[in-house]
Amino acid sequence: MSETDPILRLEGAGRTFRMGEVEVTALAEADLAIRSGEFLAILGPSGSGKSTLLNLVGGTDRPTTGHVWFGDTDLAAMRDHELTLYRRRVVGFIFQFYNLVPTLTAEENVQVATELVGDPLAPAAALELVGLSSRASHFPAQLSGGEQQRVAIARAIAKRPRILLADEPTGALDLVTARQVLSILQGLNRREGLTILLITHNPALADIAGRVVRLASGRLADTRENPNPIDASDVTW
Amino acid sequence: MPVLHRKLIRDLVASVGTLLTVIAIMGIGTGAYVGLGTSQRILEESRADYYRQYRFADFWISLKKAPRSAAERLAAWPEVASLRTRVVFDVLLDVPDAARPVTGRLLSVPSTGYAQSINGIHLQRGAGFSEDRDEEVILSEAFARAHGIEVGDRLHLVLNRRRQAFTVVGTCISPEYVYLVRGPGDLIPDPTRFGVLYVKERYAREVLDFKDACNEITGQLTPRGRRQVEEFLARADRLLSPYGVLDLVPRSRQASHSFLHDELSGLAVSATVMPGIFLAVAALVLNILMLRLARRQRTTVGTLKALGYSDLQVTLHFLGFGVVVGLLGGLCGCGIGLGLAAAMIRMYRQFFEFPSFAYSVQPDLMLIGLLVSVAFGALGALRGVLAVLRLQPAEAMRPTPPERGGRIALERLGWLWRRLGFRTHLALRSVFRNRVRSLTGVFSAALATAIMFMALVMYDSFVYLVDFQFEQVVRSDVDLGMRDEASRAALLDARQLPGVQRAEPLLGVTCDLRHGYRSRRLAITGLSAGHSLTAPRASDGAPIRIPSTGLVLTRKLAELLDVRVGDLVELRPVRGRRTVRRVPVTGEVDSYLGLDAYADLEYLAGLLGESSALNSLQFRVDPGAQADLFRAVRSLPVAQGMNVMADTRANIARTLVETSVVSIGVMIVFAGVIAFGSTLNSALIEIGDRVRELSTLRVLGYGPAEVAGILVRQGLLVFLAGLLLAFPLGYLMVSGLARAYDKELYRLPLVIRFDTVLQTIGLASGFMLLAQVIVYRQVRSLDWLEGIKVKE
Repeated sequence: MSETDPILRLEGAGRTFRMGEVEVTALAEADLAIRSGEFLAILGPSGSGKSTLLNLVGGTDRPTTGHVWFGDTDLAAMRDHELTLYRRRVVGFIFQFYNLVPTLTAEENVQVATELVGDPLAPAAALELVGLSSRASHFPAQLSGGEQQRVAIARAIAKRPRILLADEPTGALDLVTARQVLSILQGLNRREGLTILLITHNPALADIAGRVVRLASGRLADTRENPNPIDASDVTW
Repeated sequence: MPVLHRKLIRDLVASVGTLLTVIAIMGIGTGAYVGLGTSQRILEESRADYYRQYRFADFWISLKKAPRSAAERLAAWPEVASLRTRVVFDVLLDVPDAARPVTGRLLSVPSTGYAQSINGIHLQRGAGFSEDRDEEVILSEAFARAHGIEVGDRLHLVLNRRRQAFTVVGTCISPEYVYLVRGPGDLIPDPTRFGVLYVKERYAREVLDFKDACNEITGQLTPRGRRQVEEFLARADRLLSPYGVLDLVPRSRQASHSFLHDELSGLAVSATVMPGIFLAVAALVLNILMLRLARRQRTTVGTLKALGYSDLQVTLHFLGFGVVVGLLGGLCGCGIGLGLAAAMIRMYRQFFEFPSFAYSVQPDLMLIGLLVSVAFGALGALRGVLAVLRLQPAEAMRPTPPERGGRIALERLGWLWRRLGFRTHLALRSVFRNRVRSLTGVFSAALATAIMFMALVMYDSFVYLVDFQFEQVVRSDVDLGMRDEASRAALLDARQLPGVQRAEPLLGVTCDLRHGYRSRRLAITGLSAGHSLTAPRASDGAPIRIPSTGLVLTRKLAELLDVRVGDLVELRPVRGRRTVRRVPVTGEVDSYLGLDAYADLEYLAGLLGESSALNSLQFRVDPGAQADLFRAVRSLPVAQGMNVMADTRANIARTLVETSVVSIGVMIVFAGVIAFGSTLNSALIEIGDRVRELSTLRVLGYGPAEVAGILVRQGLLVFLAGLLLAFPLGYLMVSGLARAYDKELYRLPLVIRFDTVLQTIGLASGFMLLAQVIVYRQVRSLDWLEGIKVKE
């Protein structure tokens, strides 16, 4: 996992919001390179700009200053439909509250993603990867929180994304379930070489990443290399 | 099937309760379009085929007596395509089954080829004229049916003071009498009292002293002539004036045609307005459902966008809701429309006679209905779709901003507010916070109530019209037409007839009335001094005395001639000396049927240069002695036509009950669906949005009725606001209707009674309360233990 080519590069990327009369800086000009195949954790308390950074990387928002480079294209300069294609082909999203479509079964929720791309994993295969083959025909309401999050992971990876963005993926889970979910993510990174960006407020989680970037008040505070990440199954809080 | 389609279907199934009402309203709208459109087309096509096949004429000129040569001169005019002369007489018939004499119109037709002649007749039963006998008659089918007359039966007619027996050799229908009425004054066909009899041309002329002469010319014009028909008739009038031109009728004023035409144009308007109203309401209600759906699926939208679904894909998915709802509404509508069209054609069969008048499915109208319904569905979904479209994925992921809280304006009125109780507070706040939803509710309630109001007012107006014309203005029991003008002596004789309690003379004189360039030809009615059996009335119903000089015009006639009381009009009788006189308009009265003018009988006779002439009589009859009178009249040689007013009233009242009640009932039910549907819908949405709040109240110990009470209060507030708007809106609608039906043939009086307002409120409240019953049942079956766990 020692590839060093950045898959994504933030160059002075900042985001401000207008709230009535005042301008709020959610993320000050940030410089960050995300290397291909790395497991990067973004750590920070709530309101530190984590989600803003994730949105800029994920192509769900554009920076108000600076650039977000994917290869030699700048996400900041992309038009809406180009961003849509970017999200479709490059990014896989995992959300804190899973965001499954309640009226679709687990397998159908995965299909929501697979129908978008040309060469996806089979939904059944994606569910197998997260150990949920037996629950394929269940609706979200019939699944536990951990299971729902695993369906969400299956949905994210079924598109064969270049980078997986996980926004507080265990935020709504208990420790035992959280370990299962994190193990799946770590396995994907280790075995498939999938680039993962994990966003969390929980420092304990950061130890499973190869590199940890700390955000505070919308600024990159520091970056720490973690040459020996712990196994997800050993995480504790 | 793409997975998003599956999601769409499941979302639709999940909200089936709320969607059903939208689908129902849409179904009615589309149904009205398909049903009315289909009826209109079938009626129109049947008419066109009939007119073409049986060569329906473009004009009719009725004369005192004109020689054939005069008609030949007219036939030579370039704009005349072809014409035909004939003899027309109203006769009294001796129908075996009828207790009273019946009026028949005798028309001469060629003894062969009568189907191909102008205004040809279509034989329904029998073999038609033979070559053996002269005394043969073909009857109008409806008339024969009404009296149970069969082919081969014999019928006695009094022709030229000779009583003759005729053999019925057939029954028929004719494009001139698709709507079997005597003339413009008749409102509704009554084949028991009026029928047409066709006799052989040559024979009729001989018997009636019209050898080489006629009293009617009817014909077809070239396309160019048709465009200038009034101008053609004016010239024909000049050419034929030596022969006493009694009336010149272009096709547009022919009675049967006019009724048919008005019916068709009414259908065309209804087929646009009704669907428009219902589809617009459906789109409004759907609009609310879709905004709510967009709000509820905010995260899903964000997720789909984050996954890489394009705006177009998400748009199409949400538009799909509207399209499916429109499609389902449209399909229901096609079904409703087919039923409606079948029912309407059945109803029209009672009034209109065509050789072929069959109900048939019109696929193109159904397709258009379906497309329009889908378009309105998509329109209804549009705002929801735009809300979804505007949503940025990053923003959609964040939790929904809390709903607008805070105070509403009413809360500033502290003393009032404190008195209302918290459940009313909840209801009021909800009404004012969801403005679009509340306004849609107000609008739907107002519209539904206004439609009900309009339906009831129309019924009242119709009843008023019949009462005004047939009870208030015409007060006689029996009217008797005479063959020729008679002297005062005839009146004295008539008073001796059995059962007659009072007899009054009438003198009808056909004249041209002209004011500036405007003119009308009509029969001026001369009333004797002290008349009481015809009582012309002002709009407020007060009887007006006919002054000893001058003319009293009905409002519509005065309007058409652009004259006011005090103005002078030119009057020219169409026969006799035909001297033009300038006479003053000395009064104005109201009338809702045809065009009338009244004058003092002596004054009118004086204008003609005659003294005390009369040509019809009105009787008040002792009810017990009616049969004796009828017997006596049958053998009266001067009697030409008879009208028993009680029969007229009964026939109109019966038809009114049969048809108006049905169509008004349908309108009320349709409007009820709007009132019921929109009330239920907003309540169901409210329950869905406030599950947690309502569940919490249940947990706290409130019963289902108390919880439902909040929603009922809310519905009631919206409904009451709707009621306030309903009556001004309803008034606009009925006055619009009265303006639309302000025609020469008939006019709709605007009658608004206080109890109609109360009835309307009662009806609308009924539909609203029905919806509230369902709301209560929903609240009662609410799973409130689950409800308190719902995350908002």
